[in-house]
Amino acid sequence: MINSYWAICSGIEGNLAAYEAVLASIKQQSDTISDLYILGDFLGLQGNNRAVIERIQSPKVGELTPQICLGWWEEQCLNLHGLRGSLDAPELVAKVGTDGAKLLWESIDWELVQWLRTLHFGFHELDCLLIHGSTVSYADELTLDTPAIQLCDRLIRADANNLFCGRSGLVFECWVEPKQLQSQITTLDGPQTLHEQGKSPRRIVGVGNVGRTKGQGNYVLYNPATDTVQFKTVCY
Amino acid sequence: MKLAVISCIHGNLEALNAVLSDIDQHKADQIYCLGDLVGYGPHPNAVVEMIRSLDIPTCQGCWDEDIVEGLNACECSYPSILAENRGRAAHEWTNAAIHPEVREYLSTLPLTIRESNLCFVHGSPNSQHEYLLPSMDGFAALERVLSTEADVLFCGHTHVPYVRDLNEGTISVRVTQGGDGKTDRQFTMPLKRIINAGSVGEPRHGRPNATYVLYDTETTQVTLREVPYDYQRTCAAIIEKGLPPIFAWRLAQGLEFAERADDPSHVCQR
Repeated sequence: MINSYWAICSGIEGNLAAYEAVLASIKQQSDTISDLYILGDFLGLQGNNRAVIERIQSPKVGELTPQICLGWWEEQCLNLHGLRGSLDAPELVAKVGTDGAKLLWESIDWELVQWLRTLHFGFHELDCLLIHGSTVSYADELTLDTPAIQLCDRLIRADANNLFCGRSGLVFECWVEPKQLQSQITTLDGPQTLHEQGKSPRRIVGVGNVGRTKGQGNYVLYNPATDTVQFKTVCY
Repeated sequence: MKLAVISCIHGNLEALNAVLSDIDQHKADQIYCLGDLVGYGPHPNAVVEMIRSLDIPTCQGCWDEDIVEGLNACECSYPSILAENRGRAAHEWTNAAIHPEVREYLSTLPLTIRESNLCFVHGSPNSQHEYLLPSMDGFAALERVLSTEADVLFCGHTHVPYVRDLNEGTISVRVTQGGDGKTDRQFTMPLKRIINAGSVGEPRHGRPNATYVLYDTETTQVTLREVPYDYQRTCAAIIEKGLPPIFAWRLAQGLEFAERADDPSHVCQR
């Protein structure tokens, strides 16, 4: 369908009011939105994590069932519960201290942690990768200040033409074009043929955040048929 | 200054001795080692003792890491259950044979060594487990060098030596939304180089000879060295000590034999 969009958001961070505002905005365009993706970080320290999860798990009649992947906060939660490699969650403690880590621990019970375990790392759909950070890690924060070669590398690793990500919480759309590179390899058999390489432009989209800024949230609409991106802002 | 860079000795003392003799003949001023001192081969303690006695700056390889931390890499290390079982058998043999002080030494090895505009790693700057194969996308390979802020990145891990010059790299970035209006920026990158040192003790280039590299810091000339040695003695020791015989066969052929990772650029989540 030419007029079919994906709604893509990230960073609810426990802010139920902000998520409700996004859902209301999506509902107003329900004829044209076919899918809803949540690229992680629906947990946080500022709101009600349990309420947000229950809302995500139980869409109302007529609402889209969101497709959800893990974000940085969810990964920290899994760390705290001993389900990942870093049992003492050093990244989390460095960011929010032990009090913050305790708050996150207390906001999620074991049953919901089990549900977190079932979530995806990211989604490959058509020529798009939808993911919280990048394929390198949940914590990989891509912004317009990220070195060009690093953006290029993340797109190559993504094996996609469009990389939608949410770690930075920023809204941006940038095209990365690896225009030219000469690669000369020499092995024990001597120099191999000089290889000249260039690639078509590919895109990274920062989908913003829903709940980080009080009173205002962002999400993205993507039309796969026309390959266009629209940024949406909701106030609540 | 003439450097000799060796890697992936894998408990093969015969090969190490032959390579050290070759380095002597070429009058290298300094030797660097890119790790994987142990694993697969029959003489892990003797190899480590030799490296230590010569005070060779050495990075920690993935096999060295496994001996220190246990086999806790994700499934990325092996492409099949058969290969994994063989690798596990070699790990368990090495783990049982290794001396406590050798294990302690392996735990002290750095992941990266920097010297002037040179950087030394085992696999890649990201991980001891990442393979920088010559077939890797050029821009991705360039990113690995640039991330180190060095001009030359020495690596091993693939067991096949090569030199890769990456030149005239150009990337343009167009911001169409979210920045300060539409902007176009173009980035050009200077010549960068990846030098893979091959493998002293478990070569996979199709011949049993040991490989390493010489590098002249003045002229930037690289020489890929291939050194014959009595590999049959190592093969006999592998069998004698109860290691999987496939490792002796593989060493005699210089073949990889189904150990290639399915996703060589995968970053291992230990």
